[in-house]
Amino acid sequence: MEFLTAYLTANNIIFFILAAIILVFGFLSVTTTKILRAATYLFFVLFAIAGLYLLLTYEFIAAVQLSVYAGGIVVLLVFAILLVKNLGEETEKVSCQKKLVSAIAAISGVVISLVTLFGFGFQNNESADELTANVNMETIGHTLMGVEKYQYLLPFEAASVFLLACIIGSVVVATNLKKEDKK
Amino acid sequence: MLELDKFIEWIHSSLLYLIGLDWVVSLIEYVLIGVAFLSLYAVLALILIYVERKICAFFQCRLGPTRVGPWGLFQSIADMVKILLKEIIRIDKTDQLIFKVAPFIVIIGSFCTFGALQFGRGLHGVDFNVGLFYMLAISSLGVVGILLAGWASNNKYTLIGAMRSGAQLVSYELSAGISLLTMVIISGSLNLTDIIEGQANAWYIFQAPLPALIAFVIYLIAGHAETNRGPFDLPEAESELTAGYHTEYSGIQFGFFYLAEYLNMFIIAAIAATVFLGGWQPFHINADWAASFNGIMDCIPTWAWFFGKVFALIFLSLWVRWTFPRLRIDQLLKLEWKILMPISLVNLLLMAVWVLIF
Amino acid sequence: MIETLKDYYSGFAIMNQELTLVLVLIFVLLADLFLGEKGKKNLQFAAIGSFALATISGFTVSFGGSQEAFAGMYVTSDMHVLVKNILNIGTLLVFFFAHYWNKNENRNQSGEFYFLTLSTLLGMYLMVSSGNFILFYIGLETASIPMAALVAFNKKNRDSAEAAAKYILTAAFSSGVMLFGISLIYGSCGSLYFDEVANAFQGLPVQILAMVFFMAGMGFKISLVPFHLWTADTYQGAPTSVTAYLSVMSKGAAAFTFLCILFKAFHNYPEIWQNILWWIIVVTITVGNLFAIRQKNLKRFLAFSSISQAGYIMLGVISGSPLGMTSTVYYIFIYLFTNLAAFGIISNIENQTGKVGMDDYNGLYGTNPKSAFIMTLAMFSLGGIPPFAGFFSKFFIFAAAAEQGQYLLVFIALLNTIISLYYYLLVVKAMFINKSENPIPTIKSDNMSIIGLGICTIGILILGFISPIYEYMTSISFGM
Repeated sequence: MEFLTAYLTANNIIFFILAAIILVFGFLSVTTTKILRAATYLFFVLFAIAGLYLLLTYEFIAAVQLSVYAGGIVVLLVFAILLVKNLGEETEKVSCQKKLVSAIAAISGVVISLVTLFGFGFQNNESADELTANVNMETIGHTLMGVEKYQYLLPFEAASVFLLACIIGSVVVATNLKKEDKK
Repeated sequence: MLELDKFIEWIHSSLLYLIGLDWVVSLIEYVLIGVAFLSLYAVLALILIYVERKICAFFQCRLGPTRVGPWGLFQSIADMVKILLKEIIRIDKTDQLIFKVAPFIVIIGSFCTFGALQFGRGLHGVDFNVGLFYMLAISSLGVVGILLAGWASNNKYTLIGAMRSGAQLVSYELSAGISLLTMVIISGSLNLTDIIEGQANAWYIFQAPLPALIAFVIYLIAGHAETNRGPFDLPEAESELTAGYHTEYSGIQFGFFYLAEYLNMFIIAAIAATVFLGGWQPFHINADWAASFNGIMDCIPTWAWFFGKVFALIFLSLWVRWTFPRLRIDQLLKLEWKILMPISLVNLLLMAVWVLIF
Repeated sequence: MIETLKDYYSGFAIMNQELTLVLVLIFVLLADLFLGEKGKKNLQFAAIGSFALATISGFTVSFGGSQEAFAGMYVTSDMHVLVKNILNIGTLLVFFFAHYWNKNENRNQSGEFYFLTLSTLLGMYLMVSSGNFILFYIGLETASIPMAALVAFNKKNRDSAEAAAKYILTAAFSSGVMLFGISLIYGSCGSLYFDEVANAFQGLPVQILAMVFFMAGMGFKISLVPFHLWTADTYQGAPTSVTAYLSVMSKGAAAFTFLCILFKAFHNYPEIWQNILWWIIVVTITVGNLFAIRQKNLKRFLAFSSISQAGYIMLGVISGSPLGMTSTVYYIFIYLFTNLAAFGIISNIENQTGKVGMDDYNGLYGTNPKSAFIMTLAMFSLGGIPPFAGFFSKFFIFAAAAEQGQYLLVFIALLNTIISLYYYLLVVKAMFINKSENPIPTIKSDNMSIIGLGICTIGILILGFISPIYEYMTSISFGM
């Protein structure tokens, strides 16, 4: 009983609810045969992950998660699915043998990761708690744009070149050459 | 004035006394707050629908609703009862799950934004460190619901409407976001409390007249486009697409889309009022001789200031809606990507220089 | 204000090569924008010319010792500069070979081709020079995601799209695995700077798991064996110039980065990664060779050959010594000329006749003696036959591994070299001995690819004998 009350803090309860949502919908999104449903389930997963960040009081990351993943990437995904022909079709059923092998691979991967992670024991790190207690926007801004140690101006700038290259790359992939030839 | 502090204190202490368990009390309080916001949401929607009908009648030289109650005041309540009682029609050959989930996603997107709005001094749900960004982020979720609704209805009109809406929302979010970012440069914070406090002496639109005004106009245009109304109502262009992405919905499912649309109009106006027009801050003139004037302005309650500004902006948006003809989809996207986006990017730079110099 | 800005951005001062490349990038982008339809021809010269200037200017950079910028985020030394110069040379050669393709088949999108290739090159620069896992990761992604667009460049060919899809899916999966590994490293070491990771690395299970995940991600980039499944399909489907770029530059940059990170971040527990690498090398070389024997398509054939070559490159990494680094860089340097020579011939013939099958090359000597001769040189060099450059690079890399006592490994690698000789000579046999009723007609190469092939041939023939190159590399290399 004492064990229960120690665990039943509001934080933990919310965490377990969110974790359950993430796991259930994550599983559903992988196993469903309808592609648009998979995108919908993914949306819930990403939404719940934003909830996890809020629980940790990482408000900024939560908002980024919402706008980039839930509001951005899922929208692009759904858009792409809608543009593709034959979207109502269900995907091919996977053969039993494939299912079995991939299930074994996935489960053994999860087990190995979990065993090593629990063996390490991350929980006893108080300095980390202090660090993350209340990160305000100013700190985040300075960290992103600073040149000191533990500041990330260079990766930030590199990411901008990276994104530009990605935009141009996707335009290249998407352009319809046939039209240009006709002209 | 709305002095809620003591009332809230009283609820908290009596709940603590009655129940004792901390987290149960918190839970009950959260639920209470949620209920309060829900009712505010619903009531605002009713008011907005009535206001819209009256104003649109005014622009078209009609009278609008007149029969239910004095001046037709209870018309929207009657409509609400009707929509609640209507049958929800089940459509064949659709993905039922997505069809049913879509309206909820739309309404969650707009309802969650409400939590961070500041309606008056100390009158708000949560005060996020990144409030402005949070509102932008969560209000962008609605588009997922619209896309899913359009597809799940299994109807070509809804699909076209959804695709248009998706393209429109995603594009216009950019210049809306950038123009808000322009204002963040001058406020130096994303926290809504800080943003509003920073306008105590002069609203931001007066603090940096040129860039702020450009940003304000761009935000109004982009925000207007994001609500799918006015000249930008292509997703539901009734002459071509029946009713766009929600053609197949009926009853309260349709009501959800309807509600979200109206409330999004309110939210866009509220964000504009908060960031550009000082939120609930009274109109002040930052000079010694105007002290008495400022004092008079302070007498008007803060929530009245807020709702006044918001409704003024809503009036503006309705005005635009009934004035301009509908754009074509290519004109719409051209307007965003070739005109508004470049201007707002340059404006961002202009604001940075402005803040650096002044 | 100017002074503080100067302090703030002084870190960029030592990033000469990166900045030059960014300038070239912007120049290409603007040139593509303003030259328009009629200026496509000039655009090619603008791009190749400006990049050639950047390549030349890269040789003037010298630091003497190792240098840091942005508080350890960016690391450079003469060795890093040299590796970047080698990458530059390779990219320039690829541009030479791609010129004909860009002029005809790809004329609508040649600007994009240059821009994307150069931006992946920038990603490789950053990856090579990173001192922090974040910068490394962004560099890696910059080097791989635009690459997928490059692979998909051939719109008329469905294989190209399939190749790109396979590439991007595997890339996403492996970078996800790697990111998980990096996050575990951050969680268990408390930092992402390589030197601090090295100090905090205690060989705990979770850290070893993290390292394995990291190695898996790198294994994808270098196409080491358990992670090589994308290689053959992607190489076959991609436009040949892109395949050449992918097989040499992408692989070389990733191999050097892998070596740097193993040396810098994980040098306290070398036996752990050396054991893993031992098995990977054995499997990589063997599987690459055995599959190469069966291939009938030359691009697929070179894909498997490049897998086994990657295994040889790893021989230098496993030793962990300065000698290992020298021989790795030297191997990449030689491999560049050799492989690009082979791809140059293939792309020439494919551009003009569309043939890539091994049987199509029957009797090539009769119609195109020069091409057959260069191809033979490349095959001999890849197989490691003296006196071509490939022999010297293999010799040094075996020496580096043997120095650390990896005799069994060197023995297995030697056995595999003999197998590889068999299939490299199959190509030579096809060209010189097999008779064909319908041989490839005599083709006229364009000037650019003749220059490129000339450079490659000279490289294969004489680089092995110029000992100052190897000595210079020895003087600037460093170990764990």
